[in-house]
Amino acid sequence: MLSTQKAQKPQKRFYVPFGSSVRLVILLLALLFALAPVYWMLTISFKTEGEHFASPPSWFVFTPTLEHYYDAFVTRSFGQYLLTSAIVAVASTACALVIGTLAAYALARFDLPLKLNRRLSLWILSTRMFPAIVTAVPLFLMMRDVQLLNTRAALIIVYTAFNLPFVVWMMRGFFADLPRDLEEAALVDGDSRLGALVRVVLPLVAPGLAATAVFCLIVSWNEFLFALVLTQTDAAMTLPVGIAGRVTQYEIKWGVMSAAASVAIVPILVFALALQKYLVRGLSMGAVKG
Amino acid sequence: MPRSRRFFNAQNKRELLLPALFLAPALAVLLALSIYPLIYSVTISLQQETAAGITWTLGNFTRLFSDGFFWTAMGHTFVYAAVALTCEFLLGLGLALLLNNEIRGRGFFRASLLVPMMLPTVVVGVVWRLMLNPNFGAVNGTLKQFGVNTENLTWTASPKLAMLSVIAVDVWQWTPFVFLVLLAGLQAIPQEPYEAALIDGSSRWQTFWHVTLPLLKPSILIVLLLRTMDLLRVFDQIFILTEGGPGFATETISLYIYRAAFRFFDFGYAAAMSFVLLALTNVISATYIRLLQGRNA
Repeated sequence: MLSTQKAQKPQKRFYVPFGSSVRLVILLLALLFALAPVYWMLTISFKTEGEHFASPPSWFVFTPTLEHYYDAFVTRSFGQYLLTSAIVAVASTACALVIGTLAAYALARFDLPLKLNRRLSLWILSTRMFPAIVTAVPLFLMMRDVQLLNTRAALIIVYTAFNLPFVVWMMRGFFADLPRDLEEAALVDGDSRLGALVRVVLPLVAPGLAATAVFCLIVSWNEFLFALVLTQTDAAMTLPVGIAGRVTQYEIKWGVMSAAASVAIVPILVFALALQKYLVRGLSMGAVKG
Repeated sequence: MPRSRRFFNAQNKRELLLPALFLAPALAVLLALSIYPLIYSVTISLQQETAAGITWTLGNFTRLFSDGFFWTAMGHTFVYAAVALTCEFLLGLGLALLLNNEIRGRGFFRASLLVPMMLPTVVVGVVWRLMLNPNFGAVNGTLKQFGVNTENLTWTASPKLAMLSVIAVDVWQWTPFVFLVLLAGLQAIPQEPYEAALIDGSSRWQTFWHVTLPLLKPSILIVLLLRTMDLLRVFDQIFILTEGGPGFATETISLYIYRAAFRFFDFGYAAAMSFVLLALTNVISATYIRLLQGRNA
């Protein structure tokens, strides 16, 4: 599908009142707006505290220092938060992928009675539509009841459930794009159901599976509200909660905060680049097959 | 009987076993962590702790009507959602129309434009605290260079500008998303209607109004639906940027619920308010979905 899109010329008659050079200028301005603030944060993370207050603001000329990074990750506990974020993101993504892919396969491939395919899919999607704060309150109380507050396990469990509808919808779409004949051939050849899924189907949807996994990693890595509510100790808090804790204090260490935030965006940038092609599809829960 | 029926039919009990096994873990997780919390939430919203123990009451819901702060927070949420949605949609659509042509380095532009929306919202908050800081922020620093008097431009610290600031940050982060979805929608439109319009001699404006917009409508509705849902529940950026302040100036409904639950430990009231938010988002999403399906029918 993507290849046909590339082949087709997108040149159409739209109302565009100016030529390509003006368009390029607009585009460059949009880029500047999108990237300059992030770049500004990066410079703050590398500037000494004295240089933070330079006037006029120095965008390019300053003496770079790693002191804030040292302060954040060696002196303070940001290394620990980073580790927690990574563990929680990977573990919850793995759980959501296994559970969600099986469900998606069943919904995409089997003709269930009572219109269950459609009904279950929509029900699963609807669970993702709840505003986070609606479930955050009861989940906090539930986790308190089972004494899982301030543990990584609590976040892994919650993020698995949070990512699950997304995995089901994305993978359902990828399975549906795949013709049934291939699995049927494997089944006729005497392969088991699970065997056909693992050996024939999964390799074919591998790119989709990878894109879905990366999306789950990003969502878990970025998530803030549940982490804020469920983890308040150094041992269990994630990087976003750690950063937020520094922001809302009265005396703010701007350098430390920027250093931690800059580190937090590195994996996201790597993933986002890897994922460009699937980005629109993923962000729209598979509704737009960009 | 076609072969696919033979392998994928699951109409009777024996054939149902396998798909049921595949579906069971997912349904169990969602029941335990999405549906059960809702039920839990209903019960705590209907209970009140008194000296005599726990009593069942509608008190948390009736209290909503007389709570001025709740309605103010609702108002803020609507203003935030409406203004941000309008700006994001118009800017995103404009950019998508402009860039739906061959442009050199398209991949590079797309990758760069998606940076803001991939950032953790906490980082977005940090980025803009740094940009908008009245003492050393790049915004005021740059304005000063152009001779603007920035003395009163305290952005997130100013009661007048705080709401504008948090909305601008949302627009900064999410316009690229609207742009990307609409661009994908534009590119999926076939060439034929445009050729027909050309032959009919319709003007560019007519073509846009009668060909492009109607064919883009499904993408528009989806992107508006997704953005509306996110805007109505906004929490993270505002929590970092202003914590709802100064005073109550940027307190949205999610922040108010958070405060009730985790600052005042009034879980019952927080649960009751969260049901109002849930009902509201449900009504709005149902409306969008009806519009979407109405088009396809």
